[in-house]
Amino acid sequence: MADHSSSTSHSRFMQHHFVDAEQQFDAAKMGMWIFLVTEILFFGGLFAAYIVYRAWYPELFTLASEELNTIWGGVNTVVLLGSSLTVAMAIKSAQLNQKKNVAINLGITLALAAVFMVIKYFEWTHKFDIGIFPGQFYAFEGIDHPKANIFFSLYYLMTGLHGIHVIIGIGLIAWLLWRSMKGHFDSEYYTPVEITGLYWHLVDVIWIFLFPLFYLIE
Amino acid sequence: MSGHHISTDKTLLGVFGALLVLTVLTVGVHYVHIPGAWSIVVAMSIALAKATLVALFFMHLYWDEQFNTLLLVSSVAFFLLLVAFTLLDTLFRPEVMPSF
Repeated sequence: MADHSSSTSHSRFMQHHFVDAEQQFDAAKMGMWIFLVTEILFFGGLFAAYIVYRAWYPELFTLASEELNTIWGGVNTVVLLGSSLTVAMAIKSAQLNQKKNVAINLGITLALAAVFMVIKYFEWTHKFDIGIFPGQFYAFEGIDHPKANIFFSLYYLMTGLHGIHVIIGIGLIAWLLWRSMKGHFDSEYYTPVEITGLYWHLVDVIWIFLFPLFYLIE
Repeated sequence: MSGHHISTDKTLLGVFGALLVLTVLTVGVHYVHIPGAWSIVVAMSIALAKATLVALFFMHLYWDEQFNTLLLVSSVAFFLLLVAFTLLDTLFRPEVMPSF
């Protein structure tokens, strides 16, 4: 039997139903990975739809992709990669008990996530202005293909679902920032930073695939 | 053992640098216009390399319990299964379903 009273951890966030802080950390992390599995399969359905339609209408994807701005897509890629770096930096800072650096890195992450969403906002509203809407609402004349709306249905669904994930991430990181400013995270306990970081990196990885699939088509 | 590996600044910045180089590479290759099917092979290979870097070093799988890697790999395997069986239908239809 585990003797709880002799636990080496003294963190106030240690929960009594775990043997020790180590087990609590590993359980939380494995739980997050299982959630990420469901996320991959959630996005996977849309990626499968993309593959089916691209195999059916390869010429459509080449034509319609011209309407997307490669430069802004590339800038957003760099912005998200940078935010992944700062999340990883925040975790490292917590492990080294540099509490101020945890907050600074989370703050930068939050700012980069906001930049990503602002750029997405301008990309989407520009398309709305010229009549590029998803599905039956599509009203743009500039692409000579009868199925042009399908490309943009996929575009809005996939970048939209990704954008929702970024917004949820912004909420989670804001919560982490607030807690880090209260000094909650150090080498003894930084589980929320670690598992929110895993989520954020997955959002980054999804974008790593969305970028070439929509913006970089020959 | 489990994941309390502390990444050095050198590792984190090195991985970030590699991700930037691969991003520039994939955009550069796009403007070079590789012919036909090869362009998507190259673009997806670069994306896969970037995703692997993120998973191994930013998500700590390189130092972590192997069970978490198993979870990730199995989710990708089931995604590929979904795609493969769907394509067995959609690639071999005499004609694309009307109105789709």
